[in-house]
Amino acid sequence: MLSYLFKRLAVAVPTLLVLVIVSYVLMYAAPGGPFDTERALPPEVMANLDRKYGLDQPLVVQIWRYVASIVTDFDFGPSFRYQDQTVNEIIAQGFPVTLTYGAWSFLAAVLVGVSLGIAAAVHHNTLLDYFAVGVSIGAQVLPNFVMAPILTLVFTLWLGWLPGGGWQGGEWPYLVMPVIALSTSFMASIARITRSSMLEVLNASFIRTARAKGLPRRRVVFRHALKPALLPVVSYLGPAFVGMITGSVVIDFFFATGGIGQFFVNSALNRDYPVLMGVTILAGGLTVLFNLLVDLLYAWIDPRIRY
Amino acid sequence: MTLLFGRRMFREPLPPGTGDAPAGRSLWHDARARFVRNRAAVASLVVLLLVTLFALFGDFVAAWSNEEIDWSMLGSVAENGAPSLANGHWFGVDELGRDLFARTVQGTRISLMVGIVGALISVVVGTLYGATAGYFGGRLDGVMMRVVDVLMAIPYMFVLILFMVVFGRSILMLFIGIGLVSWLDMARIARGQTLNIKHREFVEAAVAIGVRPRRIILRHIVPNLLGVVIVYATLLVPSMIIYESFISFLGLGVQEPDTSWGALINDGASQMQYGTLWQLLFPLFFFVVTLFSLFFLGDGLRDALDPNDR
Repeated sequence: MLSYLFKRLAVAVPTLLVLVIVSYVLMYAAPGGPFDTERALPPEVMANLDRKYGLDQPLVVQIWRYVASIVTDFDFGPSFRYQDQTVNEIIAQGFPVTLTYGAWSFLAAVLVGVSLGIAAAVHHNTLLDYFAVGVSIGAQVLPNFVMAPILTLVFTLWLGWLPGGGWQGGEWPYLVMPVIALSTSFMASIARITRSSMLEVLNASFIRTARAKGLPRRRVVFRHALKPALLPVVSYLGPAFVGMITGSVVIDFFFATGGIGQFFVNSALNRDYPVLMGVTILAGGLTVLFNLLVDLLYAWIDPRIRY
Repeated sequence: MTLLFGRRMFREPLPPGTGDAPAGRSLWHDARARFVRNRAAVASLVVLLLVTLFALFGDFVAAWSNEEIDWSMLGSVAENGAPSLANGHWFGVDELGRDLFARTVQGTRISLMVGIVGALISVVVGTLYGATAGYFGGRLDGVMMRVVDVLMAIPYMFVLILFMVVFGRSILMLFIGIGLVSWLDMARIARGQTLNIKHREFVEAAVAIGVRPRRIILRHIVPNLLGVVIVYATLLVPSMIIYESFISFLGLGVQEPDTSWGALINDGASQMQYGTLWQLLFPLFFFVVTLFSLFFLGDGLRDALDPNDR
């Protein structure tokens, strides 16, 4: 197990390094400096600013310093636009929000998706199955940026049940629409994957044996079929996580929840590179970490995988 | 061969073209027959053709251009801007008094173009990359696929946005950015297929008569990957369209006066509180219908071209 972990880390660490280097080089190559304003500053002031932020050093030194300060102090440096805020403070402010509705969405997508998939497979070719398949096909063309306006239109403008945005410390009315908008398309994919792999497993001979022994159907489905049927779902969790992290940008943008996505879009519009890079690297780090967890989970569920 | 000739010897010579052996049924012939039987896929193909015609020729039909502002509408869009046949704004006008029909035509154009270009890049780059890695195998394969692993683990949307911010937001940059990430999945699929076919007899025969690896990959491996590649490319088009719309929805993609479905949906969503719902619903309709059709088309093609997969 340990050697497997190290093998996975051997991919994870270069991934993060590539991400940091690519984004730093992109930022370095960007036309126009971070302190360019409408009125040109005197060259001495520019030089001082550059020195203060270490921008007068060669590229390699800059990258080295950046990586070193992230690794040793978890410090992403100052924001160029908001002089009184560091990138860390911005992330600390937005991340809990994103994490809250993100975790709920993930939970909802997995629980509802898996249940729907199992129900559809067990009641294969019944009305319930057709309903589940219909929902999961329909939801495929409803990504978060389509779901969000539709939900707001129905629940805020027409029915007036839910607030159209804001956060208010995460009270549940403010949580409902972000969670639904973010989780729907992933829920659909999980339902589809669960259904097809469950159908396959239910046709396997060990299931027939279990049924022939006279075990009740419920027990066969949950004790014998569920674990192997969930393997493809587990391997989908990684991409789903990436999709949700990305989707959170739309949610924060559209519902003004104040999560990191909102800062990300604002800094993209303001060319606030340190914030952009900080958020990108944070998202990359979380993704790598999560993929590592999924791999370990997979290896634990499926003993055939030898590390 | 001798057996065939031997059997023929005892029969009357047949007029050409009416052999008693069943008519030749190629893979593509079979595939077409299977595809035509799939009603949902054929209907999707028709819908996609209509959407394409709309994007190509909508401009000639439109009564207004996409940049022109109808000054008579300005300030009273909610009351007078609704879709109407009388004043030529068939889809209504947007919040600036621009004709939504013309803007939808243009948005459809850009969204379809992004989908097609992204899929094309992924077909060319991904297939060649995957076939090369799979064919040579060994250390080269290890390194090449490790690179793909590393790139796939990156949340590319963030990098893509960073890329767009740094190099300026233009359609060209959008194409380049999307092209940079679109080939990864295709490379994996092409490699997997290549591993399957590289030990077949026709490849061995080619190696035996001394064909160069480059030529084997291009002439023997790649044509045999085509079925899978086409299916997957069809399924890639909608995801490319979704990527682009995602970025444009955030206002970080195409720039005014250009537009795309994502940008139009965002415009519509930001105006819906004023009751100008047509601004949201028309682009949304095109987006959903096209994506639906693309998924069904991809499904139909998969059933048609990849019979093992059922």
